[in-house]
Amino acid sequence: MKRRTFLKQTAALAASSVAAPFILPGGRLFARTGSRRVGHVVFCLFAGGIRNIEAIQQAEGNLMPASFEGTSSAMPGLDPIPASPWFQKLAKEGTLFPELRYREGPTGHFNGHTVAVTGRYTDTGLNLRQNPQFPTVFEYYLKHNSPAQTAKNAWWVSNSLGPYPALNYSQDPGYGAKYGANHIAPTVLLNPSLYPAISNPKQFQFHEEERLNHVRNFLDQSFGKQAVNQGFGISNTDSETKLIQDFIQSLMEKGNSGAYNNPLGVSGIHANNDIYTMLFAEEIIREFKPELLTVNMTDVDICHQNFTEYCNNLRKADYAVAHLWHTIQNTPGMADDTLLVIVPEHGRNKEPNTVQDIYGRFALDHTGDATSREIFAMILGPSGLVKKNQVVGTPSNPKGESIDIVPTIAYALGFDVDIPNGRLPGRVLMEAFE
Amino acid sequence: MYFHQNIHFSIARLLYFPLIIILFSFLFSCSKTEQVYLYEVNEVEVTQAGVNKNTLKSDLEFISLAYSDLFGTTLTENQLLVLVTGYNAVGDKGLIADVIIRNFLNNPGADVPSAQQMRADVPAFIQATYRRFYVREPGEYELWFFENLIANDPDITPEIIYYAFLTSDEYRYF
Repeated sequence: MKRRTFLKQTAALAASSVAAPFILPGGRLFARTGSRRVGHVVFCLFAGGIRNIEAIQQAEGNLMPASFEGTSSAMPGLDPIPASPWFQKLAKEGTLFPELRYREGPTGHFNGHTVAVTGRYTDTGLNLRQNPQFPTVFEYYLKHNSPAQTAKNAWWVSNSLGPYPALNYSQDPGYGAKYGANHIAPTVLLNPSLYPAISNPKQFQFHEEERLNHVRNFLDQSFGKQAVNQGFGISNTDSETKLIQDFIQSLMEKGNSGAYNNPLGVSGIHANNDIYTMLFAEEIIREFKPELLTVNMTDVDICHQNFTEYCNNLRKADYAVAHLWHTIQNTPGMADDTLLVIVPEHGRNKEPNTVQDIYGRFALDHTGDATSREIFAMILGPSGLVKKNQVVGTPSNPKGESIDIVPTIAYALGFDVDIPNGRLPGRVLMEAFE
Repeated sequence: MYFHQNIHFSIARLLYFPLIIILFSFLFSCSKTEQVYLYEVNEVEVTQAGVNKNTLKSDLEFISLAYSDLFGTTLTENQLLVLVTGYNAVGDKGLIADVIIRNFLNNPGADVPSAQQMRADVPAFIQATYRRFYVREPGEYELWFFENLIANDPDITPEIIYYAFLTSDEYRYF
C-alpha cells in the first residue's frame, strides 16, 4: 500500500469512527451526552407525613438534632435517642430547601411516594394496586444511563408492603419491568416468622445447576410462552440472582443470630420499623454499592392518633438518616461520591383532629390543606459538587417542588439529557450545585 | 427428395412395430403383478405443549399449588400467609419463588422419589411428573427427551427434574 493511500484510509476511518452514530444498549443513537456528576445517589423518602412546623420551625423544640441546629426539645414523653453518628449537622453537608412544595394532587402517602419517584403529580384516580402510570426514576436510570446497568444497581427499599412494592417500575409501555429496580421490604422479609420457611433452601452444586438449566430450557422452549414480564416483576440476571439470594440468606443468618437485636446500639430504646429499614438499606449499600437506591421511612404516620409518638419517630428518623450518611461516608466506593437527597412525601394538616394522646396532645391528619403541602428537602453531597451549609427559599418565597427530585437525580447521574422531552415537568434544583 | 426420405422412414417403422409388440408381450407375460407400498407416518396434529394454558397463577395460587404438588397436602392458612408475605417482599418474583421452592425441596416431608425409583420405570416417572406438575400427559418428543436424558446422564436426579418443572414457565399457568 502506498503511503498516501494508507494515510487517506486511516484518516477516513478515524473521521468515521468519530462522526458515525452507533446504537447503545439503552436504545440511544449516540453516546451519553450528559456527564456524571456523582457516582451514586441515595434518595431517602423521609415519609409518613411530616409538618414543617415540627421539622423546620421547631415548634416543639428541635426534634431533628442530627440534621439541624436548634434548642433541644423538652417535651415530656420523648424517648432518649443516641447522639448523632455524624460529626456535624447534616444541613451543613449540603443545601436545605426549607420550603419545598407538594403542589398538586391528594396528600396521600402513596400519591406522595408516586410523585417523588416519578416526578409527576398524581390525580385522585390513583389505583393502589397498580404500578404508576408514568416511569419511575429507576426506569429512567436503567434505560438511559450509559453504560447500561442492571437492576443490581437500582434498589427500592420500602419499610412496608401495601401498595409500595409497586413503585419499582411503571406501566409505561416504553419502560416497565424490564427497567425496574430490585424491590425489597427487608423488615417483612427478615421477620422471624419467615425464617423457618425460607432460610434452608436446597443448594444445587454447579454441575447440578447446569443440568437443571438444561431441563428447564427444554421445558420453557416446549411451552413457548414467557412468564417473565407478565406480572412476575423485574428479573435479575442469573449470576446476580444468585448474589442477591446469597445476600438475603446472609441477612437472615445474621438476624437469626441476634446481630440486629440492638440496632441503635443503646439498650432500652425501641428500634422502630424505620430504624430497621435503614439498617438493611445500609447493608445493601455495603454489599452492592448501588448507583441508585431509594429508601423510605413512614413511622411518623402514627401522628393520626398519637402526636407524642410522632415526635419520637421523627427523632428516630432523623437519627436513622444521620446513620445512613455515616455509612455512606464509610463505604469505600461511595464515600465522597454520593448524593443523598432527603425529602418527605407530604406534610400534615395545620388543624388537629380530635384524638388526644396521654399527654393531651392532639393528633394530625393530612387532607390536603396548605400546611400539608409544605415540606422540605436536603441535598447532601461531595465538596465541589454540592453547595454546603446553604439554605434556599423562605416561606414567602418557596423554592422547589416534589416533582423536581427526579430531574435532580437524573442530573446528578448524568442521564437527564437523555430523557425524552416532555416526560418530566419538574426542574433540576440547580441551586444546590456548585 | 424430402418426400422420398419420409416414405422410406415410414416403411421401416411398419417393419419394426410387430417386433416391439412381441418383445413387450414377452417381457410382461413373465412378470408378476407388483404391489405398490407407500410408506408414510400417521397423521399427527402438532401443537405446542400446554397451548391451552393461558391464565397466570396468582402469587397465592402458585405457592399453594407448588406446596400441594410436592407434599400431597395443602398449606395451612397461616403457612400460606407467611409465605405470600415473604414473596411480596421481593420485587424479583423469580428470585424469591426459587428460594421458596428450594426450601420446599429441602423439606424432608416433600414427596420426591429416589433416583433408584425413577430409573426403575422411567416412562412411568415421566408420565407421573407431567401429570403432577403440568396436569397433562407428556408428548412423544417430551417422553423421548426425558428417557434419553435419564438413560445417558447418571447424575440426573428427580430433585433436579422436579425443581426444573416447578420453576418453568408452564408451571406458572393454568
